[in-house]
Amino acid sequence: MSYAIAAYAVTLGAFAVYGWLLHRERRRLERED
Amino acid sequence: MASDSALRLSRIRRPLGWALLALVPAWAALVWTAPLDSVQGVIQKILYVHPPLAYGAYLGFVITAVGGALYLWKRSEVYDQLAVAGAEVGVVFCTLMMVTGPIWAKGTWGQWWTWDPRLTLTLLLWFVYLSYLLLRSLTEGSERTARFAAVYGVAGTALIPLNYFAIELAGGRAAHPENLERGSMDPAMWTAFGVANLAAFAAFLYFLVLRWEVEVRRARVVEAEAQHP
Repeated sequence: MSYAIAAYAVTLGAFAVYGWLLHRERRRLERED
Repeated sequence: MASDSALRLSRIRRPLGWALLALVPAWAALVWTAPLDSVQGVIQKILYVHPPLAYGAYLGFVITAVGGALYLWKRSEVYDQLAVAGAEVGVVFCTLMMVTGPIWAKGTWGQWWTWDPRLTLTLLLWFVYLSYLLLRSLTEGSERTARFAAVYGVAGTALIPLNYFAIELAGGRAAHPENLERGSMDPAMWTAFGVANLAAFAAFLYFLVLRWEVEVRRARVVEAEAQHP
């Protein structure tokens, strides 16, 4: 069970962090434009 | 003032975000309720995340090749920006595929990694596109780099069919399970697998469009700074 949970937690966590970083960069560039 | 391309991408991104928000709970519910595999048990549920990540990685690298080819043909930097976005999102999916795979392997084989043809080729594929991103980050904004990267991105896709058919090509020496075929799973498992692929595809498109928009906006800011230093 813990292996399956780890796989989903890593994927969803990484997606959330990647999405947040992209949005932060987009907002920064929007302000500079 | 945002460019037309950035505004268009921003408009495409929003419905993709809503689609993703609708698909993720459906994906979670179907993974939870899918029947347990009689041999592997609960660890088999990694199937609903690992292969969709692999397809996303392949798609990202194909988009890099398509963007690169279009750049070589049309010489429009928007296609080069698409190629960069495809490579980065592809590398993110490929990295996660290479994390979830060993988690399954540890629980099933008892070891994180083996030098099986599919695993080795996946690692090579990951290095090829990681190198692409490193090349782009070290030599930003040059037309020569964009041309070289386009050729590199197109050539790199040769690894994709090799990676996909590695198990058949290994002729029984592969440790990695075979590619999925219709009828090899319970219908409820197929439904969960289908929705998992849809959700991963929506996530892929959302990230691709958002990353492309970032690249378009970044080029515009760099251009403005060059004109008014």
